[in-house]
Amino acid sequence: MELKYYIIRRLLVLIPTIIGLLLLTFILLRAIPVNDLIANYVNQKATPAEKALEKQQAITLLGLGQPLPVQFFTYLTDVANGNLGNMYSAYYNGGVLRGIELFLPVTLEIAIFTVIFSVLISIPLGTFIGSRPNSVSDSVGRVFSLIFYAMPIFWLALMLQYAFGKNLLFLGSYGLPINGQGFPIQQVGFVHNHTGYSYSVPTHMLFIDAVLNLDFPLAVVAFEHLILPVLTLSMTVLAGLLRFIRAGMVDTSNQEYIKTARAKGVPEKLVLKRHIRKNALLPSVTVIGLLVAGLLGGAVVVEDIFQITGLGRLSLAAITGTSGNGANIQFFGVAGTVLFFGLILMLTNLIVDIVYAFLDPRIRY
Amino acid sequence: MQTTVSIFKRGTIQKKRHPKVEDAKETIKLVVKNKVAFTGLVITAVYLFLAFMDQVYPAYLGFGPNIITSLLQVGGQPNGKFPTPPTTVGGWHLWFGTGLGHFDIFPAMLASLRIDIGYSLLIVLSGAIIGIVVGSFSGYYGGVWDELVMRITDIFYSIPFIVMAIAFTTILSFTFTQDNIPISGFNLIALALIIIWWPTYARLTRSITLSLKSSRFIEAAIASGSSRVRNVITHIIPGVLSPVFVQISLDLGSIVLVFSTVEFLGLGQIIGINYYTPELGNIIVNGQGGMLLGYWWPIFIPGIFLLIFTVGINIFGDGLRDVLDPKMRR
Repeated sequence: MELKYYIIRRLLVLIPTIIGLLLLTFILLRAIPVNDLIANYVNQKATPAEKALEKQQAITLLGLGQPLPVQFFTYLTDVANGNLGNMYSAYYNGGVLRGIELFLPVTLEIAIFTVIFSVLISIPLGTFIGSRPNSVSDSVGRVFSLIFYAMPIFWLALMLQYAFGKNLLFLGSYGLPINGQGFPIQQVGFVHNHTGYSYSVPTHMLFIDAVLNLDFPLAVVAFEHLILPVLTLSMTVLAGLLRFIRAGMVDTSNQEYIKTARAKGVPEKLVLKRHIRKNALLPSVTVIGLLVAGLLGGAVVVEDIFQITGLGRLSLAAITGTSGNGANIQFFGVAGTVLFFGLILMLTNLIVDIVYAFLDPRIRY
Repeated sequence: MQTTVSIFKRGTIQKKRHPKVEDAKETIKLVVKNKVAFTGLVITAVYLFLAFMDQVYPAYLGFGPNIITSLLQVGGQPNGKFPTPPTTVGGWHLWFGTGLGHFDIFPAMLASLRIDIGYSLLIVLSGAIIGIVVGSFSGYYGGVWDELVMRITDIFYSIPFIVMAIAFTTILSFTFTQDNIPISGFNLIALALIIIWWPTYARLTRSITLSLKSSRFIEAAIASGSSRVRNVITHIIPGVLSPVFVQISLDLGSIVLVFSTVEFLGLGQIIGINYYTPELGNIIVNGQGGMLLGYWWPIFIPGIFLLIFTVGINIFGDGLRDVLDPKMRR
């Protein structure tokens, strides 16, 4: 099959999956008591008359009086129009989509640095230990990756916080949120929006913006705040990646064409670089999907511990709600973030599959 | 029949050898020979034994059933006493110090094993059973149902585990409250995690089923008139079991991690889990408040305790995979 048809087939398969994901979030929203759902739509500070009116509006808006398929269609239209509902919490008030837009860059910044850091370390290290199977360095690498693979990420974050956050003042990773708060507002490239959050322009990622605006003292501060979260996330990502690359290296070096290359006198360095590593790294592309899933899940924990104002904490805030005693869980916030995480991961997997098919012509099915 | 018997001398009793028993013996021999896997097995066995002991003979902790709740009856709410550091004086229960609510960490950790390991066994086994049934039937039957099951697993694969776990747990708690069904917080998390976890096994089972489906013995079974349901149950599922068993042993560690992470993220308050409930994630989150004041042991020690278990079960699973792999047998 040609690459073109493979991509078309892959895109067509995506459509039912996305509809299924929407169905899942719809079921999540309808599985809860209707009164609780409507209560999310109503401003609790309004007068009773206004509340009754808002309730009525919510029922018509969500189509609650109508049969379920019609309700699902209403939900689909809402999502297509970018209306994911509102949420009220101590962390964020307002539209869910707007909240995602506001907090995504912070999470994205951490994710980008984590990926860069872990790829930069895991490829040379994986090549090194994979080319010497059963040596001392291989055992050390395996033990390292095993321990970090099996380590609870929240515990690692807490331990790093205890070890560095307190004793080394320059790594003040708790207390100061990254996203603008805590920094002098008159810094270059900061804007206040109507909800009272301040963020930097143009990318909304503090470190990158500070560098772009040539504000180096701020860049240093922003970078220091990134160190511990990125270190925590990369340790777990690194462990999985290292295991995979090592296994790939060992597998590839047992192939016949490696023996051929050695037999015909190709220098060992070239065998390692051209013949083994290139082929061993190819399957690693497929791990990127898992890596992104791990990053998004880990971001929830890391942002909670390091008090980073990111997307993961938005989903947690939706669950904790306004009061924190479980009375006011923000269902639209929960469903919206689940939907968003799902869409990100689906698109990642799509891109990974297409890139892999492009790189490896044998993959066509 | 006569000819086969006549090979042996009359009067000698031929010991009957069951192939499956022989196979299991061989597996055990190989696991014991593999030092790393055997270490993992020993660690896992010790943890399982402690969890089992707490279930059948809770008094071994010296505090009667369910240490933490009994402490709650004695001490009431968190009394604000500062934790005492690990010490060798004053009995074994003070070896790892006390936590922020002034409970002893060592017995609390031992007591939490029952919940952590018990629930992860429950989750993994139920997930595996659902996954095996769904995966083997959909893989064997193929067609529309297969495609449907695969799309459903795709959806579950496309949401991060932790996000999905917390979302499902909260929403399920509301659903159960609406219908007035009493359910404990841990059962709720377990239910949510079973819903999330079965697709892993369904996919694994399906991929093995597809390769088994075209093998000779299935053809022979079809030729001898065996029905499709019978084929799946008597021929496919036994062939699937050993890779699934490896996956179970690897997942047991991950489930303990997810379970305590969910607890750590503050869901305990929402689904009504006590401050003193013995669960490793709960103990760690309780100690979080004192960490910046310098009380590191209420977090450090339960974390290490959890880590040893997950590392142990992972190396056991890795070793088991090597041993059960037919290529490595020879």
